[in-house]
Amino acid sequence: MLGRSPEREHRLAVAAVAVARRIAEALAVLVVLSSLVFFAMRLLPGDPAALVLGDQATPAELAVVRAKLHLDESLGAQYLRFLRGLTTLDLGESLRRPGTSAMSRVGEALGPTSELAGLAVAMGAALGVAAALATAGPWLGTRKRWVERGLVVVSATPLLAFAPLATYALAARARLVPLPGDPEAGFAGLAFASALLSLPLAAQVGRTGRAALAEIAHAQFLTVARAKGATPARIWFLHALPVVTGPLVTVIATQLGALLGGAVVLERLFERAGLGTLILEAYASRDLPVLEGAVIAAGALFVLAQALSAVVHAAIDPRVRA
Amino acid sequence: MTGRWVRLAPLGAVVAVAAAVALLVRRAPDHLEPVDAWCSPSLARPFGCGEGGVDLFALVAHAVLRGVALASIVAAVGFAVGTPLGAAAALQRGRFERSVDRACDLIQAFPTFLLALAVLSAVASPTRVHLGCVFALTAWAPFARLALAQTRVVREAAFVEAAVALGMGRARVLLRHVLPNVLGIVAVQLGSAGATIVVSEAAFAFVGFGPRDGVSLGNVMDQGVAAMLRAPHVLVVGALAVFATSAAMLWAGRAVEAEGR
Repeated sequence: MLGRSPEREHRLAVAAVAVARRIAEALAVLVVLSSLVFFAMRLLPGDPAALVLGDQATPAELAVVRAKLHLDESLGAQYLRFLRGLTTLDLGESLRRPGTSAMSRVGEALGPTSELAGLAVAMGAALGVAAALATAGPWLGTRKRWVERGLVVVSATPLLAFAPLATYALAARARLVPLPGDPEAGFAGLAFASALLSLPLAAQVGRTGRAALAEIAHAQFLTVARAKGATPARIWFLHALPVVTGPLVTVIATQLGALLGGAVVLERLFERAGLGTLILEAYASRDLPVLEGAVIAAGALFVLAQALSAVVHAAIDPRVRA
Repeated sequence: MTGRWVRLAPLGAVVAVAAAVALLVRRAPDHLEPVDAWCSPSLARPFGCGEGGVDLFALVAHAVLRGVALASIVAAVGFAVGTPLGAAAALQRGRFERSVDRACDLIQAFPTFLLALAVLSAVASPTRVHLGCVFALTAWAPFARLALAQTRVVREAAFVEAAVALGMGRARVLLRHVLPNVLGIVAVQLGSAGATIVVSEAAFAFVGFGPRDGVSLGNVMDQGVAAMLRAPHVLVVGALAVFATSAAMLWAGRAVEAEGR
């Protein structure tokens, strides 16, 4: 064992400071986001209570909703209450389903969205890495140009355009996958939706991976591996791939926001339950506590995934460890 | 020199065709003829009809025009705000530079779609102006980041050093020496920013946050998905229109790109 050398202790301290800074930053992002949501609902023109009840509401009804949302208090008091609610994960009752807390509805919706997004990330990463290796390795010969062109075409095609078309072709015509809204879609439905959601991510991962692999294609350590007589598979999978994992993890992390946005579109397309559906429903019915909770939960999911990607990056690539 | 402007042609063609159709086809984009609901494409109605007998030819043309206009304005605003901000941050260095850099990182990775939903929920019925404002909240980030990266190169140049040594103020150095060298590179982002906004606007309308007049490509997609089995042409028309518009925007952005080479 190494023992507790001063150098090692110093490195641990540096790492601890870095982790603490990341956590502080993640918390700051969450607080800023939730404050933004809070003030957007209250400071922009339009009375939230009137939005909830519509134009026909009587003053008495408006007063009841105002009291329920605590809109009759001063803005400062409301904000303090809101921050306190955040720390205890209690943003009040859902307006549309009295008796259910807003956070429990958000919790129910988080599951399906996490499944969809998680599976999409896994599929997109696998597909993108496969495409990048296909363009770097010798297996495809001149046909690798088709893979490159495919990556460009897919990354230029918006999800909104191809997802409904693919659904029409595969679900309505070919009957290979369940139709949108099929309550018995089960795993096939989830897998199909995730596959669609994963394609833009796969294109990004593929393009980044291709560029990163091209950069190290003539690096010395690969030449050494070749000189030792390693097979192309061994060279690219064992020697080259770990080196480019860093940029790939980073690109996946930066695409997560777009992925969550895409998840909203796909949940709507496939009529799946989830965070996007909940946000749209809460918006349509002006269920403010649920809307706030859902947006903040999405932000938390995102911040968590970012932190996770940083940890994964550090675990895989010793060069980024401080 | 001439070859590069050819890349504007697809966008020009899309806009010209849409404008011609919008002018020549006398049917309003929200005019309903329930008798013709979901009718297939024919000579009289080249794209067929959608829900309630709305003429898709006219609807798509008007929607493309409005989408392109919105995207151009928002992308231009993002460019005008983001470029000086990024350049100034890199010139200033230190804390300002780091915070702008980090803000760009966050905004680019953030689920801005969700953020926009939250902000939009504060208005009773979103209009295109509201949508534009919400997009502009985040549209500056990619421009600022590019300007930041490019200024980091330019600020080391001898002519910037000379200008500073001659006692020029920071604003003057920024305007006269840094920005002219940064603009060309940053403008490359205009195309992809515009394409993103075209798609976002359609996506918002698709999930039900669109402008109340219903004239958006997202509404066409929404109708198409609802009537997928009955009238698949609606879906095809909508998807192709979204793709063509966003691809034309992307392509037009590359007209600027060649300049730097």
